[in-house]
Amino acid sequence: MVRIKERYLLVNILYPSEIGVKPGVPDVVVINQPTTDKLTPQALLRGIRAEVGDTFGDFGSGALEGGGLQVKYLSNATSTFILRITRAQYRMLWTALTFMDHVPVRDGKPCTFRVVHVSGTIRKVEEAAIRHARNLMFAVKDQAGEKDKAALEAMFSQAKRMRQAAAVMPTPLNVEDDSGDEDMVDISDD
Amino acid sequence: MLYDLNIAWLPSTTQSELTQTLKFSASLGYNAVALNHLIENVPPQPKNPLPASPPRRRSRNPPKPRPEATATTTKAKMRNKNKARRRTIPRSLPSPPLYDIVAVRPTTEKEFSHACQEVRIEVASLISLDLTQRFPFHFRPKPCMAAVSRGLRFEVCYGQTLRAGASSDPRTRATWIGNLMELVRATRGRGIVISSEARRVTELRGPADVVNLLAVWGLAADKGMEGLGVNARGVVVNEGINRRGYRGVVDIVQVAARDDEEGDKMEGVETAGEAQKGKAAAAGGNGKKRKGGANEGRGSGNGNAPPADGTMSKRQAKKLKKLAMEESGATTPEENKS
Repeated sequence: MVRIKERYLLVNILYPSEIGVKPGVPDVVVINQPTTDKLTPQALLRGIRAEVGDTFGDFGSGALEGGGLQVKYLSNATSTFILRITRAQYRMLWTALTFMDHVPVRDGKPCTFRVVHVSGTIRKVEEAAIRHARNLMFAVKDQAGEKDKAALEAMFSQAKRMRQAAAVMPTPLNVEDDSGDEDMVDISDD
Repeated sequence: MLYDLNIAWLPSTTQSELTQTLKFSASLGYNAVALNHLIENVPPQPKNPLPASPPRRRSRNPPKPRPEATATTTKAKMRNKNKARRRTIPRSLPSPPLYDIVAVRPTTEKEFSHACQEVRIEVASLISLDLTQRFPFHFRPKPCMAAVSRGLRFEVCYGQTLRAGASSDPRTRATWIGNLMELVRATRGRGIVISSEARRVTELRGPADVVNLLAVWGLAADKGMEGLGVNARGVVVNEGINRRGYRGVVDIVQVAARDDEEGDKMEGVETAGEAQKGKAAAAGGNGKKRKGGANEGRGSGNGNAPPADGTMSKRQAKKLKKLAMEESGATTPEENKS
């Protein structure tokens, strides 16, 4: 039995040019901030096709048309999306993503597309997405925790009391990633 | 360990921009970066204008893979536009080294072949090519491979092509791709170091993205990973030894431990030696093993010697050995039993 072999790309949109603009917000949160709602799957596809056309010309555009490019999942809250393409063309698509430097909407912010995971089945991509989101949450909590510690250290000079307080205090930061996690679970149930 | 040996630094780069770039680079997963400074027409007394980074670590204790502990090394790249290139590339480095890594950037064929075949590895360890420039010659395998086998590495900067998309000249990217393919063909993908040459933070890409980008243009993915990891590390370590060690050969790796620790260590050695001795006796033993066994026999073979004595003089050892020989009839069977 011959079947069409495919590749699923899990991509994150990162916003590195805003690091350090807002003090007090951890860098991880700034880099992985939510994307504008103007970015729809259609807009994304248009942007990718334009970039592939730019880089690879008609040959690339044709290959992408034949490759069945699809946006399987797009979450603006977590700036994550999953693309599907046939296996022969996925490197071309990936290159186009690497060359893109702003959100493909009108007056899009400068951003970077980072391919987090490539796999042959959508199940594995979903697992990777959930894992990635969870790791991000931990990273944010770590960074926020460090800030709490520093603030407390400034308040209380005694280190012992500070450590106890840090252990008791919950981290105050809520991250948008929670919603994204649930979304991903929903899709995998479908 | 992932390295990015080229983050472009210009005199106009502000501290906040630099911080942004370094932070993003760390969050993408790069463990060590080098700030890069381009010098055209090297002056007789060059100065290092690069900002000194507070968490600066030498390559001897490589940075832990924690994002905030990104090691920053400084790097100079010397481009020589003069024809008298031998004068512009200094024969030796200034005695307190200004830069951690030095690269050369040839622009003409003469300079290129000189860089490949004659520039000493102590002077520069990287040949950094501006691939957006049209070279009036082909990269031939012979000089390229000569450079690689001498220990030099070719640096390929993907930031140049990312920047080229926005620039006015549409041929720039094509030139970059063409040059890269030719370089990969000439070296067969060996001895290539991949770095970003990012002037702005948006020109940085994740390691996997970069490897894929070069894989499309002909550099195999495993070679690409080498270019980000092993090859770049080799450059950093070699340059470190060149700067730090004696004539680039002898270097201090570790300072001897304190006395109490040393005692413990010697005990460990002894027990290991005994085990080895037993093995050697069982297997008949080759020369090396027997030698080790003999050494141990001197130290711990007889019952008289204190077992954990690491600081026994030769004379004392001989004395004890003699004693042991005298009592050998009594001791050796016991030893064999044990």
